[in-house]
Amino acid sequence: MSPLLRAELLKLRTTRTFITLVSVTLVLSLVVVGLTAILADDFTEDSVREMFTFDFSSLFILLLGVTGMAGEWRHRTITSSVLAAPDRLKLLTAKVISYAVAGALLSLIVTVALMALGTLILSIRDETTLGLTDLADVLWRNLVVAALLGAFGVCVGGIVRNQIVAIVGLLVFAFALEPALLNLAIDVGRFGPTVGAPNGIIGINPVDDGELLEPGIAGLVMIGWVGLGFGLTAALLRRRDLV
Amino acid sequence: MAAVEIRDLHKRFGSVNAVSGLSFDVAPGRVTGFLGPNGAGKSTTLRALLGLIRPTDGTATFGGRRYEELDRPSTQVGAVLEDASFHPGRTARNHLRVLAVTGEHPLGRVDEVLGAVGLSDAADRRVKGYSMGMRQRLAIAAALLGDPEVLILDEPTNGLDPPGISWMRRLLREQAANGRAVLVSSHLLAEVAQSVDDVVIIANGEMRGRGTLEEVLGGDERTVTEVRATDPERLAQAIEQRGHRVERDGSALLVVGATPEEVGVIALEAQVALAGLAPRTRSLEAAFFALTGGES
Repeated sequence: MSPLLRAELLKLRTTRTFITLVSVTLVLSLVVVGLTAILADDFTEDSVREMFTFDFSSLFILLLGVTGMAGEWRHRTITSSVLAAPDRLKLLTAKVISYAVAGALLSLIVTVALMALGTLILSIRDETTLGLTDLADVLWRNLVVAALLGAFGVCVGGIVRNQIVAIVGLLVFAFALEPALLNLAIDVGRFGPTVGAPNGIIGINPVDDGELLEPGIAGLVMIGWVGLGFGLTAALLRRRDLV
Repeated sequence: MAAVEIRDLHKRFGSVNAVSGLSFDVAPGRVTGFLGPNGAGKSTTLRALLGLIRPTDGTATFGGRRYEELDRPSTQVGAVLEDASFHPGRTARNHLRVLAVTGEHPLGRVDEVLGAVGLSDAADRRVKGYSMGMRQRLAIAAALLGDPEVLILDEPTNGLDPPGISWMRRLLREQAANGRAVLVSSHLLAEVAQSVDDVVIIANGEMRGRGTLEEVLGGDERTVTEVRATDPERLAQAIEQRGHRVERDGSALLVVGATPEEVGVIALEAQVALAGLAPRTRSLEAAFFALTGGES
Protein backbone atom coordinates (compact mmCIF):
# COMPACT_ATOMS: atom_id res chain seq x y z
CA MET A 1 0.00 0.00 0.00
CA SER A 2 1.41 3.40 -0.92
CA PRO A 3 2.32 5.80 1.90
CA LEU A 4 -0.19 8.29 0.54
CA LEU A 5 -3.01 5.75 0.67
CA ARG A 6 -2.01 4.72 4.20
CA ALA A 7 -1.96 8.36 5.22
CA GLU A 8 -5.42 8.98 3.77
CA LEU A 9 -6.82 5.95 5.58
CA LEU A 10 -5.17 7.15 8.80
CA LYS A 11 -6.63 10.61 8.23
CA LEU A 12 -10.05 9.07 7.71
CA ARG A 13 -10.12 7.09 10.92
CA THR A 14 -8.60 9.68 13.23
CA THR A 15 -11.52 12.08 13.24
CA ARG A 16 -14.57 11.95 15.42
CA THR A 17 -16.84 12.33 12.38
CA PHE A 18 -15.75 8.97 11.04
CA ILE A 19 -16.18 7.15 14.33
CA THR A 20 -19.59 8.77 14.84
CA LEU A 21 -20.82 7.96 11.34
CA VAL A 22 -19.63 4.35 11.56
CA SER A 23 -21.44 3.91 14.88
CA VAL A 24 -24.62 5.57 13.59
CA THR A 25 -24.54 3.46 10.42
CA LEU A 26 -24.15 0.25 12.37
CA VAL A 27 -26.83 1.08 14.91
CA LEU A 28 -29.32 2.41 12.35
CA SER A 29 -28.87 -0.55 10.02
CA LEU A 30 -29.25 -3.04 12.88
CA VAL A 31 -32.31 -1.27 14.27
CA VAL A 32 -34.08 -1.16 10.89
CA VAL A 33 -33.27 -4.78 10.06
CA GLY A 34 -34.04 -5.94 13.61
CA LEU A 35 -37.44 -4.22 13.65
CA THR A 36 -38.28 -5.44 10.15
CA ALA A 37 -37.36 -9.00 11.04
CA ILE A 38 -39.41 -8.83 14.23
CA LEU A 39 -42.47 -6.95 12.97
CA ALA A 40 -42.98 -8.11 9.37
CA ASP A 41 -44.59 -11.40 8.44
CA ASP A 42 -44.62 -13.89 5.59
CA PHE A 43 -41.07 -13.31 4.43
CA THR A 44 -40.07 -14.54 0.99
CA GLU A 45 -36.51 -14.92 -0.29
CA ASP A 46 -36.94 -11.66 -2.21
CA SER A 47 -38.17 -9.75 0.81
CA VAL A 48 -35.32 -11.12 2.95
CA ARG A 49 -32.85 -10.07 0.25
CA GLU A 50 -34.40 -6.61 0.20
CA MET A 51 -34.18 -6.39 3.97
CA PHE A 52 -30.46 -7.17 3.87
CA THR A 53 -29.90 -4.26 1.52
CA PHE A 54 -30.86 -1.88 4.36
CA ASP A 55 -27.17 -1.26 4.75
CA PHE A 56 -26.86 2.44 5.44
CA SER A 57 -23.12 2.38 4.91
CA SER A 58 -23.57 3.38 1.26
CA LEU A 59 -25.31 6.59 2.23
CA PHE A 60 -22.93 7.37 5.05
CA ILE A 61 -19.75 6.69 3.10
CA LEU A 62 -21.11 8.92 0.35
CA LEU A 63 -21.55 11.73 2.88
CA LEU A 64 -18.21 10.92 4.48
CA GLY A 65 -16.51 11.13 1.09
CA VAL A 66 -18.02 14.57 0.51
CA THR A 67 -17.06 15.66 4.02
CA GLY A 68 -13.54 14.30 3.68
CA MET A 69 -12.76 16.14 0.45
CA ALA A 70 -14.75 19.36 0.95
CA GLY A 71 -13.45 19.41 4.53
CA GLU A 72 -9.92 19.84 3.17
CA TRP A 73 -11.10 23.23 1.89
CA ARG A 74 -13.29 24.05 4.84
CA HIS A 75 -10.51 23.48 7.36
CA ARG A 76 -7.89 24.74 4.90
CA THR A 77 -5.93 21.52 5.37
CA ILE A 78 -5.64 21.17 1.59
CA THR A 79 -2.48 23.29 1.81
CA SER A 80 -0.68 20.93 4.17
CA SER A 81 -1.99 17.94 2.20
CA VAL A 82 -0.56 19.34 -1.05
CA LEU A 83 2.69 20.32 0.65
CA ALA A 84 3.07 16.74 1.89
CA ALA A 85 2.03 15.30 -1.48
CA PRO A 86 2.64 17.88 -4.21
CA ASP A 87 1.41 15.61 -6.99
CA ARG A 88 -2.25 16.60 -6.74
CA LEU A 89 -3.42 13.82 -9.03
CA LYS A 90 -1.82 11.19 -6.79
CA LEU A 91 -3.30 12.88 -3.75
CA LEU A 92 -6.78 12.76 -5.25
CA THR A 93 -6.31 9.16 -6.38
CA ALA A 94 -5.26 8.14 -2.88
CA LYS A 95 -8.27 9.89 -1.38
CA VAL A 96 -10.70 8.30 -3.84
CA ILE A 97 -9.23 4.82 -3.26
CA SER A 98 -9.16 5.25 0.50
CA TYR A 99 -12.85 6.17 0.64
CA ALA A 100 -13.70 3.29 -1.70
CA VAL A 101 -11.78 0.90 0.58
CA ALA A 102 -13.38 2.44 3.67
CA GLY A 103 -16.82 2.11 2.08
CA ALA A 104 -16.26 -1.54 1.28
CA LEU A 105 -14.94 -2.28 4.79
CA LEU A 106 -17.76 -0.38 6.45
CA SER A 107 -20.32 -2.19 4.31
CA LEU A 108 -18.69 -5.53 5.08
CA ILE A 109 -18.98 -4.96 8.82
CA VAL A 110 -22.53 -3.57 8.65
CA THR A 111 -23.90 -6.11 6.17
CA VAL A 112 -22.42 -9.09 8.01
CA ALA A 113 -23.77 -7.74 11.32
CA LEU A 114 -27.27 -7.11 9.98
CA MET A 115 -27.33 -10.47 8.17
CA ALA A 116 -26.38 -12.23 11.40
CA LEU A 117 -29.03 -10.38 13.39
CA GLY A 118 -31.74 -10.72 10.72
CA THR A 119 -31.06 -14.40 10.13
CA LEU A 120 -31.08 -15.08 13.87
CA ILE A 121 -34.44 -13.35 14.38
CA LEU A 122 -36.00 -14.96 11.28
CA SER A 123 -34.76 -18.39 12.39
CA ILE A 124 -36.26 -17.93 15.84
CA ARG A 125 -39.54 -16.85 14.22
CA ASP A 126 -39.31 -19.80 11.85
CA GLU A 127 -39.44 -17.48 8.84
CA THR A 128 -37.67 -17.84 5.50
CA THR A 129 -33.91 -17.29 5.60
CA LEU A 130 -31.27 -17.09 2.88
CA GLY A 131 -28.61 -19.65 2.13
CA LEU A 132 -24.92 -18.75 2.11
CA THR A 133 -24.85 -18.27 -1.68
CA ASP A 134 -27.66 -15.75 -1.58
CA LEU A 135 -26.15 -13.99 1.42
CA ALA A 136 -22.81 -13.74 -0.40
CA ASP A 137 -24.62 -12.36 -3.45
CA VAL A 138 -26.25 -9.60 -1.39
CA LEU A 139 -22.96 -8.92 0.39
CA TRP A 140 -20.84 -8.29 -2.70
CA ARG A 141 -23.48 -6.00 -4.19
CA ASN A 142 -23.62 -3.94 -1.01
CA LEU A 143 -19.82 -3.78 -0.92
CA VAL A 144 -19.53 -2.63 -4.53
CA VAL A 145 -22.17 0.07 -4.09
CA ALA A 146 -20.56 1.39 -0.89
CA ALA A 147 -17.10 1.42 -2.48
CA LEU A 148 -18.29 3.28 -5.58
CA LEU A 149 -20.38 5.77 -3.61
CA GLY A 150 -17.43 6.47 -1.28
CA ALA A 151 -15.31 7.30 -4.31
CA PHE A 152 -18.12 9.34 -5.86
CA GLY A 153 -18.56 11.33 -2.65
CA VAL A 154 -14.90 12.39 -2.73
CA CYS A 155 -15.38 13.65 -6.28
CA VAL A 156 -18.50 15.62 -5.34
CA GLY A 157 -16.60 17.18 -2.42
CA GLY A 158 -13.79 18.09 -4.80
CA ILE A 159 -16.11 19.83 -7.25
CA VAL A 160 -18.36 21.59 -4.72
CA ARG A 161 -15.85 22.84 -2.16
CA ASN A 162 -18.41 24.30 0.23
CA GLN A 163 -19.06 21.40 2.60
CA ILE A 164 -22.57 22.41 3.62
CA VAL A 165 -23.68 23.15 0.06
CA ALA A 166 -22.17 19.87 -1.14
CA ILE A 167 -23.90 17.77 1.53
CA VAL A 168 -27.27 19.50 1.35
CA GLY A 169 -27.17 19.48 -2.44
CA LEU A 170 -26.30 15.80 -2.52
CA LEU A 171 -29.06 14.90 -0.05
CA VAL A 172 -31.63 16.84 -2.08
CA PHE A 173 -30.39 15.14 -5.23
CA ALA A 174 -30.36 11.65 -3.72
CA PHE A 175 -33.62 11.85 -1.80
CA ALA A 176 -35.76 14.11 -4.00
CA LEU A 177 -34.49 14.79 -7.50
CA GLU A 178 -33.18 11.38 -8.48
CA PRO A 179 -36.12 9.40 -7.04
CA ALA A 180 -38.48 11.81 -8.82
CA LEU A 181 -36.59 11.31 -12.05
CA LEU A 182 -36.69 7.55 -11.54
CA ASN A 183 -40.46 7.67 -11.12
CA LEU A 184 -41.10 10.07 -13.97
CA ALA A 185 -38.63 8.77 -16.51
CA ILE A 186 -36.99 5.52 -15.46
CA ASP A 187 -35.19 5.21 -18.79
CA VAL A 188 -33.14 8.24 -17.75
CA GLY A 189 -33.34 7.86 -13.99
CA ARG A 190 -31.86 4.36 -13.96
CA PHE A 191 -28.54 5.89 -14.98
CA GLY A 192 -28.49 8.15 -11.89
CA PRO A 193 -25.45 7.97 -9.62
CA THR A 194 -27.09 7.84 -6.20
CA VAL A 195 -30.30 5.83 -6.68
CA GLY A 196 -30.73 4.47 -10.23
CA ALA A 197 -27.40 2.78 -10.86
CA PRO A 198 -26.80 1.71 -7.21
CA ASN A 199 -30.22 0.04 -7.11
CA GLY A 200 -29.39 -1.64 -10.41
CA ILE A 201 -26.29 -3.15 -8.81
CA ILE A 202 -28.21 -4.24 -5.72
CA GLY A 203 -31.07 -5.57 -7.84
CA ILE A 204 -33.86 -3.80 -5.99
CA ASN A 205 -36.28 -1.78 -8.09
CA PRO A 206 -37.89 0.98 -6.01
CA VAL A 207 -40.48 1.85 -8.69
CA ASP A 208 -43.30 -0.23 -10.09
CA ASP A 209 -43.00 0.66 -13.76
CA GLY A 210 -39.95 -0.01 -15.87
CA GLU A 211 -36.72 -1.85 -15.27
CA LEU A 212 -33.43 -0.86 -13.80
CA LEU A 213 -30.09 -1.61 -15.43
CA GLU A 214 -28.56 -5.07 -15.15
CA PRO A 215 -26.05 -5.22 -12.25
CA GLY A 216 -23.02 -5.39 -14.54
CA ILE A 217 -24.19 -2.47 -16.67
CA ALA A 218 -25.20 -0.51 -13.58
CA GLY A 219 -21.71 -1.12 -12.15
CA LEU A 220 -20.13 0.23 -15.32
CA VAL A 221 -22.42 3.27 -15.22
CA MET A 222 -21.37 3.93 -11.62
CA ILE A 223 -17.71 3.57 -12.59
CA GLY A 224 -18.42 6.06 -15.37
CA TRP A 225 -19.87 8.54 -12.85
CA VAL A 226 -16.84 8.12 -10.60
CA GLY A 227 -14.53 8.54 -13.60
CA LEU A 228 -16.35 11.69 -14.69
CA GLY A 229 -16.25 13.12 -11.17
CA PHE A 230 -12.59 12.19 -10.82
CA GLY A 231 -11.72 13.87 -14.11
CA LEU A 232 -13.54 17.09 -13.19
CA THR A 233 -12.07 17.16 -9.70
CA ALA A 234 -8.56 16.47 -10.99
CA ALA A 235 -8.84 19.25 -13.56
CA LEU A 236 -10.04 21.73 -10.93
CA LEU A 237 -7.52 20.66 -8.33
CA ARG A 238 -4.56 20.83 -10.71
CA ARG A 239 -5.20 24.36 -11.90
CA ARG A 240 -6.43 25.83 -8.65
CA ASP A 241 -4.11 28.23 -6.83
CA LEU A 242 -3.97 27.51 -3.10
CA VAL A 243 -3.83 31.06 -1.80
CA MET B 1 24.75 26.51 -5.11
CA ALA B 2 21.91 28.40 -3.50
CA ALA B 3 19.35 26.32 -1.65
CA VAL B 4 16.52 28.45 -2.97
CA GLU B 5 16.56 30.31 -6.26
CA ILE B 6 13.86 32.74 -7.30
CA ARG B 7 14.30 34.06 -10.83
CA ASP B 8 12.23 36.82 -12.42
CA LEU B 9 9.11 35.61 -10.62
CA HIS B 10 5.83 37.14 -11.67
CA LYS B 11 2.37 36.39 -10.35
CA ARG B 12 -0.74 38.16 -11.51
CA PHE B 13 -4.19 37.63 -10.01
CA GLY B 14 -6.61 39.05 -12.55
CA SER B 15 -5.54 42.65 -13.02
CA VAL B 16 -3.42 42.72 -9.87
CA ASN B 17 0.32 42.19 -10.08
CA ALA B 18 1.04 40.43 -6.81
CA VAL B 19 4.70 39.77 -7.62
CA SER B 20 6.70 41.49 -10.37
CA GLY B 21 10.08 40.25 -11.50
CA LEU B 22 11.41 39.09 -8.15
CA SER B 23 14.84 37.43 -8.10
CA PHE B 24 16.90 36.37 -5.11
CA ASP B 25 18.73 33.41 -3.56
CA VAL B 26 18.72 31.85 -0.13
CA ALA B 27 22.04 30.38 0.95
CA PRO B 28 22.56 27.33 3.17
CA GLY B 29 23.63 28.05 6.74
CA ARG B 30 22.06 31.50 6.72
CA VAL B 31 18.79 33.00 7.85
CA THR B 32 17.29 35.17 5.14
CA GLY B 33 14.60 37.60 6.21
CA PHE B 34 11.94 38.19 3.60
CA LEU B 35 10.53 41.53 4.60
CA GLY B 36 7.82 43.80 3.39
CA PRO B 37 4.58 45.39 4.53
CA ASN B 38 1.31 43.48 4.49
CA GLY B 39 0.21 42.83 0.92
CA ALA B 40 3.73 43.21 -0.44
CA GLY B 41 3.66 39.79 -2.10
CA LYS B 42 5.64 37.77 0.44
CA SER B 43 3.10 34.99 0.93
CA THR B 44 2.44 34.81 -2.80
CA THR B 45 6.16 34.38 -3.45
CA LEU B 46 6.47 31.67 -0.82
CA ARG B 47 3.40 29.84 -2.11
CA ALA B 48 4.77 29.98 -5.64
CA LEU B 49 8.03 28.55 -4.31
CA LEU B 50 6.11 25.74 -2.61
CA GLY B 51 4.10 24.87 -5.70
CA LEU B 52 0.82 25.99 -4.17
CA ILE B 53 0.22 28.65 -6.79
CA ARG B 54 1.34 28.78 -10.39
CA PRO B 55 3.69 31.63 -11.25
CA THR B 56 2.58 33.70 -14.22
CA ASP B 57 6.22 33.79 -15.28
CA GLY B 58 9.65 33.01 -13.89
CA THR B 59 10.86 30.19 -11.68
CA ALA B 60 11.13 29.38 -8.00
CA THR B 61 13.25 26.33 -7.28
CA PHE B 62 15.15 24.38 -4.66
CA GLY B 63 18.59 23.52 -6.00
CA GLY B 64 17.23 23.93 -9.50
CA ARG B 65 14.15 21.73 -8.99
CA ARG B 66 10.59 22.85 -8.52
CA TYR B 67 8.93 21.75 -5.26
CA GLU B 68 6.66 19.36 -7.16
CA GLU B 69 9.73 17.67 -8.62
CA LEU B 70 11.40 16.94 -5.27
CA ASP B 71 11.57 13.35 -4.08
CA ARG B 72 10.00 13.06 -0.64
CA PRO B 73 9.74 16.87 -0.38
CA SER B 74 9.34 16.91 3.40
CA THR B 75 12.92 15.61 3.76
CA GLN B 76 14.14 18.59 1.76
CA VAL B 77 11.81 21.45 2.57
CA GLY B 78 9.83 22.23 5.69
CA ALA B 79 7.24 24.97 5.49
CA VAL B 80 5.17 26.94 7.95
CA LEU B 81 2.59 29.05 6.19
CA GLU B 82 0.83 32.05 7.65
CA ASP B 83 -2.55 30.39 7.93
CA ALA B 84 -1.34 27.02 9.17
CA SER B 85 -4.57 25.05 9.47
CA PHE B 86 -5.34 21.71 11.01
CA HIS B 87 -8.41 19.55 11.19
CA PRO B 88 -9.90 20.74 14.48
CA GLY B 89 -11.03 17.27 15.48
CA ARG B 90 -7.67 15.62 15.08
CA THR B 91 -5.02 15.58 17.78
CA ALA B 92 -1.57 17.05 17.22
CA ARG B 93 -0.06 13.59 17.40
CA ASN B 94 -2.46 12.25 14.79
CA HIS B 95 -1.87 15.21 12.52
CA LEU B 96 1.87 14.58 12.65
CA ARG B 97 1.41 10.83 12.24
CA VAL B 98 -0.48 11.43 9.00
CA LEU B 99 2.37 13.62 7.76
CA ALA B 100 4.96 11.09 8.92
CA VAL B 101 3.23 8.31 7.02
CA THR B 102 2.92 10.46 3.88
CA GLY B 103 6.57 11.47 4.05
CA GLU B 104 7.74 7.96 5.00
CA HIS B 105 9.35 9.19 8.20
CA PRO B 106 9.71 6.92 11.22
CA LEU B 107 6.78 7.43 13.60
CA GLY B 108 9.30 8.03 16.38
CA ARG B 109 10.01 11.41 14.79
CA VAL B 110 6.54 12.52 15.82
CA ASP B 111 7.40 12.46 19.51
CA GLU B 112 10.80 14.00 18.83
CA VAL B 113 9.41 17.06 17.06
CA LEU B 114 6.54 17.40 19.53
CA GLY B 115 9.18 17.55 22.26
CA ALA B 116 11.31 19.99 20.27
CA VAL B 117 8.45 22.50 20.03
CA GLY B 118 7.26 21.94 23.59
CA LEU B 119 3.96 20.26 22.77
CA SER B 120 4.56 16.81 24.29
CA ASP B 121 2.03 17.36 27.07
CA ALA B 122 -0.66 18.57 24.67
CA ALA B 123 0.02 16.00 21.95
CA ASP B 124 -3.17 14.04 22.50
CA ARG B 125 -5.48 17.02 22.75
CA ARG B 126 -7.66 17.97 19.80
CA VAL B 127 -6.26 20.90 17.87
CA LYS B 128 -9.49 22.89 18.20
CA GLY B 129 -8.56 23.49 21.85
CA TYR B 130 -5.15 24.90 20.94
CA SER B 131 -4.17 28.53 21.30
CA MET B 132 -2.80 30.32 18.25
CA GLY B 133 0.71 30.00 19.63
CA MET B 134 0.28 26.25 20.11
CA ARG B 135 -0.97 25.92 16.53
CA GLN B 136 2.08 27.81 15.36
CA ARG B 137 4.32 25.44 17.31
CA LEU B 138 2.50 22.47 15.80
CA ALA B 139 3.04 23.91 12.32
CA ILE B 140 6.73 24.21 13.11
CA ALA B 141 6.79 20.63 14.38
CA ALA B 142 5.26 19.53 11.07
CA ALA B 143 7.91 21.47 9.16
CA LEU B 144 10.72 19.87 11.16
CA LEU B 145 9.34 16.34 10.84
CA GLY B 146 11.45 15.38 7.84
CA ASP B 147 14.58 17.10 9.17
CA PRO B 148 14.66 19.22 5.99
CA GLU B 149 17.58 21.13 4.49
CA VAL B 150 15.48 24.21 3.83
CA LEU B 151 12.98 25.87 6.14
CA ILE B 152 10.39 28.30 4.83
CA LEU B 153 8.48 30.23 7.46
CA ASP B 154 5.76 32.73 6.64
CA GLU B 155 5.19 35.17 9.51
CA PRO B 156 6.13 32.51 12.08
CA THR B 157 5.89 34.80 15.10
CA ASN B 158 2.19 35.51 14.53
CA GLY B 159 0.33 34.43 17.63
CA LEU B 160 3.44 33.79 19.67
CA ASP B 161 3.90 35.44 23.05
CA PRO B 162 7.23 37.15 23.86
CA PRO B 163 8.85 33.92 25.19
CA GLY B 164 7.56 32.20 22.05
CA ILE B 165 9.10 34.87 19.82
CA SER B 166 12.38 34.50 21.66
CA TRP B 167 12.17 30.72 21.22
CA MET B 168 11.50 31.22 17.51
CA ARG B 169 14.57 33.43 17.13
CA ARG B 170 16.73 30.80 18.80
CA LEU B 171 15.21 28.11 16.60
CA LEU B 172 16.01 30.07 13.44
CA ARG B 173 19.62 30.56 14.52
CA GLU B 174 20.01 26.90 15.52
CA GLN B 175 18.64 25.72 12.20
CA ALA B 176 21.03 27.96 10.27
CA ALA B 177 23.93 26.92 12.53
CA ASN B 178 23.18 23.32 11.54
CA GLY B 179 23.68 24.26 7.90
CA ARG B 180 20.06 24.69 6.91
CA ALA B 181 18.85 27.46 4.66
CA VAL B 182 16.13 29.41 6.44
CA LEU B 183 13.80 31.83 4.68
CA VAL B 184 11.56 33.69 7.08
CA SER B 185 9.03 36.29 6.08
CA SER B 186 7.75 39.07 8.28
CA HIS B 187 6.11 42.45 8.00
CA LEU B 188 7.76 43.46 11.25
CA LEU B 189 11.46 44.11 10.92
CA ALA B 190 11.95 44.25 14.67
CA GLU B 191 10.81 40.66 15.08
CA VAL B 192 13.43 39.20 12.78
CA ALA B 193 16.21 41.81 12.78
CA GLN B 194 18.05 40.01 15.57
CA SER B 195 18.04 36.64 13.88
CA VAL B 196 18.61 37.24 10.17
CA ASP B 197 21.88 37.25 8.25
CA ASP B 198 20.49 38.51 4.97
CA VAL B 199 17.37 40.36 4.01
CA VAL B 200 15.24 40.63 0.92
CA ILE B 201 12.87 43.57 1.05
CA ILE B 202 9.86 43.88 -1.18
CA ALA B 203 6.93 46.25 -1.50
CA ASN B 204 4.07 46.18 -4.00
CA GLY B 205 5.44 42.91 -5.35
CA GLU B 206 8.75 44.47 -6.35
CA MET B 207 12.25 44.11 -5.00
CA ARG B 208 13.35 47.08 -2.88
CA GLY B 209 16.63 45.77 -1.59
CA ARG B 210 18.66 42.68 -0.80
CA GLY B 211 21.90 41.90 0.96
CA THR B 212 22.88 41.91 4.59
CA LEU B 213 20.72 43.92 6.94
CA GLU B 214 23.43 46.58 7.19
CA GLU B 215 23.92 46.79 3.45
CA VAL B 216 20.26 47.16 2.72
CA LEU B 217 19.05 49.32 5.55
CA GLY B 218 22.01 51.33 6.63
CA GLY B 219 25.55 50.14 7.12
CA ASP B 220 27.95 52.99 6.49
CA GLU B 221 25.02 55.02 5.19
CA ARG B 222 23.42 55.09 8.54
CA THR B 223 24.93 58.48 9.18
CA VAL B 224 22.01 60.78 8.52
CA THR B 225 22.05 64.54 8.71
CA GLU B 226 18.93 66.63 9.02
CA VAL B 227 19.22 69.97 7.32
CA ARG B 228 16.88 72.92 6.84
CA ALA B 229 17.65 75.52 4.24
CA THR B 230 16.13 78.63 2.68
CA ASP B 231 16.28 76.94 -0.72
CA PRO B 232 15.99 73.22 0.00
CA GLU B 233 15.62 72.18 -3.64
CA ARG B 234 18.86 73.82 -4.67
CA LEU B 235 20.62 72.34 -1.68
CA ALA B 236 19.20 68.87 -2.38
CA GLN B 237 20.45 69.10 -5.95
CA ALA B 238 23.92 70.10 -4.78
CA ILE B 239 24.04 67.28 -2.24
CA GLU B 240 22.91 64.67 -4.75
CA GLN B 241 25.58 65.90 -7.19
CA ARG B 242 28.11 64.93 -4.51
CA GLY B 243 26.72 61.38 -4.53
CA HIS B 244 24.67 61.42 -1.32
CA ARG B 245 21.07 60.30 -1.09
CA VAL B 246 18.49 62.88 -0.02
CA GLU B 247 15.10 62.11 1.46
CA ARG B 248 12.38 64.62 2.29
CA ASP B 249 10.92 64.81 5.78
CA GLY B 250 8.46 67.69 5.71
CA SER B 251 10.42 70.88 5.19
CA ALA B 252 13.67 69.21 6.24
CA LEU B 253 16.08 67.22 4.10
CA LEU B 254 17.58 63.99 5.39
CA VAL B 255 21.00 63.41 3.90
CA VAL B 256 21.99 59.78 4.07
CA GLY B 257 25.70 59.01 4.38
CA ALA B 258 26.97 62.53 5.04
CA THR B 259 28.02 64.17 8.29
CA PRO B 260 26.74 67.67 9.29
CA GLU B 261 30.21 69.06 8.50
CA GLU B 262 30.08 67.66 4.97
CA VAL B 263 26.57 69.01 4.42
CA GLY B 264 27.65 72.43 5.77
CA VAL B 265 30.52 72.58 3.27
CA ILE B 266 28.22 71.61 0.41
CA ALA B 267 25.71 74.31 1.44
CA LEU B 268 28.48 76.88 1.61
CA GLU B 269 29.75 75.96 -1.84
CA ALA B 270 26.19 76.04 -3.22
CA GLN B 271 25.65 79.37 -1.48
CA VAL B 272 22.45 78.21 0.22
CA ALA B 273 21.67 79.66 3.62
CA LEU B 274 21.01 77.08 6.32
CA ALA B 275 18.27 77.32 8.94
CA GLY B 276 19.26 74.18 10.81
CA LEU B 277 21.84 71.42 10.71
CA ALA B 278 21.94 68.41 13.00
CA PRO B 279 22.91 64.72 12.97
CA ARG B 280 20.02 62.32 13.20
CA THR B 281 20.21 58.71 14.23
CA ARG B 282 18.06 56.73 11.89
CA SER B 283 16.74 53.42 13.14
CA LEU B 284 16.67 50.29 11.00
CA GLU B 285 12.91 50.41 11.29
CA ALA B 286 12.79 53.93 9.82
CA ALA B 287 15.08 52.88 6.99
CA PHE B 288 12.84 49.88 6.36
CA PHE B 289 9.79 52.12 6.20
CA ALA B 290 11.57 54.52 3.89
CA LEU B 291 12.45 51.65 1.59
CA THR B 292 9.02 50.08 1.57
CA GLY B 293 7.02 53.27 1.54
CA GLY B 294 5.48 52.57 4.94
CA GLU B 295 4.98 54.91 7.85
CA SER B 296 7.55 55.27 10.60
